[in-house]
Amino acid sequence: MDFGYTPEQEALRREVRAFIAEHITPEVIVEMEGHNEGLLGVSLGTSRGPAVRELFGKIHARGWTGISYPKEYGGQGSDRLSQYIVEEEFARANVAIGLTGTGAPAILAAGTEEQKRHYVPRLISGEFRFAQGFTEPRGGADLASLQCRAVRDGDEYVINGQKMYTSGAHYCTHIYLMARTDPDAPKHKGISVFVFPMDTPGITVRPLWTIQNDPEAPTRTTYGQSRTNETFFDDVRVPKTALLGKENEGWTVGTLGLNLDRVGAARYLISVLRDEDIINWVKENRLGGYSPADNPAIRDKLAELWIEAQVCRLMTMRSMSIVERGGHFSYEGSAEKVWAPEHGVRTTEAITQMLGPYAQLLNGSPRAVEKGIFAHNLMGAFQSGINHGSTQVMRDQVARRGLGLPRGKKG
Amino acid sequence: MDVLLNEDEATLRSTTREFLEAECPPSLVRQMEKDAKGYPESLWQKVAEMGWQGMALPEKYGGLDLPLVQLGLILEEVGRAVAPLPLHSTVVAALTIAKDGSEAQRAAILPEVAKGQTILTWAFTEQDPRLLPETIHTQAVADGKDFVINGTKLFVDNFAAAERCLVVCRTAPASSDNAGLSLFLVDTKSPGISHTALVTLAKDRQSEVVFRDVRIPGSNLIGELNQGAPIVERMLDRATALLCAQMLGATRKDAEMAIEYAKYREAFGQPIGAFQSIQHICADMIIWIDGGSLLTYEALWKMDQGLPASVEVSQAKAFCNEKCEAVVRFSQIIHGGIGFMMELDLHLWFRRVSAWTMRLGTTYEHRARIARALLDFPGRVVLGRPVPVVPE
Repeated sequence: MDFGYTPEQEALRREVRAFIAEHITPEVIVEMEGHNEGLLGVSLGTSRGPAVRELFGKIHARGWTGISYPKEYGGQGSDRLSQYIVEEEFARANVAIGLTGTGAPAILAAGTEEQKRHYVPRLISGEFRFAQGFTEPRGGADLASLQCRAVRDGDEYVINGQKMYTSGAHYCTHIYLMARTDPDAPKHKGISVFVFPMDTPGITVRPLWTIQNDPEAPTRTTYGQSRTNETFFDDVRVPKTALLGKENEGWTVGTLGLNLDRVGAARYLISVLRDEDIINWVKENRLGGYSPADNPAIRDKLAELWIEAQVCRLMTMRSMSIVERGGHFSYEGSAEKVWAPEHGVRTTEAITQMLGPYAQLLNGSPRAVEKGIFAHNLMGAFQSGINHGSTQVMRDQVARRGLGLPRGKKG
Repeated sequence: MDVLLNEDEATLRSTTREFLEAECPPSLVRQMEKDAKGYPESLWQKVAEMGWQGMALPEKYGGLDLPLVQLGLILEEVGRAVAPLPLHSTVVAALTIAKDGSEAQRAAILPEVAKGQTILTWAFTEQDPRLLPETIHTQAVADGKDFVINGTKLFVDNFAAAERCLVVCRTAPASSDNAGLSLFLVDTKSPGISHTALVTLAKDRQSEVVFRDVRIPGSNLIGELNQGAPIVERMLDRATALLCAQMLGATRKDAEMAIEYAKYREAFGQPIGAFQSIQHICADMIIWIDGGSLLTYEALWKMDQGLPASVEVSQAKAFCNEKCEAVVRFSQIIHGGIGFMMELDLHLWFRRVSAWTMRLGTTYEHRARIARALLDFPGRVVLGRPVPVVPE
């Protein structure tokens, strides 16, 4: 067991911090505040103003956006923990540069040589962005029940169906889609994954507005995206080269990326940043003459939450260790995806009882604490336990895959 | 950074587990609950041959000079087997002698410990059970070259079996910059010592020990006079982290018994482990145990690196106190009625884990220590970086 970083990793962290201190300028911060897409979104599409775009050019020039990806596909060939360090430092500065999304890892694992050379370097440079088309109106957490159809027609597939919560579909360049290619096979066995441009004829994107951004939430709010989408596919024709991996083996391809998406710096930080915020706030602030930091009940609760947050960090380190050794998760990624989001909720809710009526004040209100982040976060923290695999489904996976408990009878 | 076991650690764990599965069945644990001594001498000798007592002691004194992380793995397996061995109290006292004792004290005691010929313990707690310097009223008064000790210690582990005991005494009134404590090495057979067995939930061996004009030579002082507080704090931190490892071993075994039971016990036409209500409890149990384990080994690793670890130790114990208790309670619930029948072995784990949550600092005490570090010193707190160091 080794709970420390190597001197090289420590040096990388110092280098990234120095870069951030120099380049996250007031102009960049103003642009990010003005185009809030939450922790996951400031680097993306429409939210990029000129200063942010210039910043990303510099980050890309350092090789940090693809640090752990193979050199032949535009990366730096470094270790996964180095990527984690870079992501963590930027995420703390409210800049998401992570490539741990579902697309690039799945392409590296399942793509053809041509697909890897086409997509991975452009994902690293930011030229391409994938929106994820997995969930459907009737599916929800039961992802494998998806109905969106892809029918082979000569050298093409014809796609018809509807996807929900396709965040970023209005500015992403491509859709990364799960569709059913064999309706007669058992539900996990008839699914395929496709990647194709969003400007393919027959795609319609309609906005869905979230509860969290009214009025606009401060930049570092958990989730905090004002907009997601529903996306419709009407006789969308894509070439057969849009298929990722083998036909009908899309469940394996898709879930591989999802597993990697459930761990990492961004996932860890969205669950723990409020712990730091509230501790540092009560250290330096009073409400009238009252110091919450001197209240024994609050002190006990803050310590409890701090311990829980450390467990979030250490579970992330465990996942990093498994990935770094080239292993696969048995249940550890799912365990982390239960613990961390539920911790984030416990903290967010505890803060409401530490600050009382002040915690209800939204951004822009007189007397708002920290730009209303705690109130906005109350509408966002629980989303982390729903998105990318609900905590209930994750517990099923821990019990069945990790502990070997049997599947129950239906009904 | 690699928080998984390396090859040596995995081998140590598996050989230790195999050894205890063969040598320490639940029947032996039951037998020792009624035994006068409370531990089997033959097993104590066998584990000495495997080097457990001397695992983290210097090679010079017959030890193996291995890190605390590896000693933690041993204690985890001892907990898993709920092995009735006076190992925890012995290694905690021996490590303090190794780190803070004089050359003469080390040479006199440690080789005997490594050979399994000396059992050690330590005595801190008095009537006020908090782990704070101001709770210490047992006095040691200089008299020529000797010290004379008067006072009462409670909850002293394995005192009846131990040859020597490290006793925390007050040698000066507390002042703002000095807690006024000193640590002494005391022969448990010294005239003036009397001890009474406490009857405990775990049916382990704890004593109330009364010191009445107990005279010990001045050469038995560990460290400097009146400078005992930081030595004692480090001793308690090591003891606490190692106890967490022991608790987690027992708790994981306890949970595994419940999970296996859930796989074959049928109700309503299927194994109860097929019901999500049971599955989700089991998932939480394993998540909590894993969390406690990560906290505990990070604390032990930091001590091995010579880094400040008091916050990490308190994180581990506060978490384990609550989560280990919850796990063994859920394990009882999954077992249903049979779980609380004397004939099933499950209670051997339940009673011990519960008792260990009460020792070496309650949840509230450890959280208070963390809160002090987080809130009472200037500077921003950032997760994953050291918190402001609490001055001694």
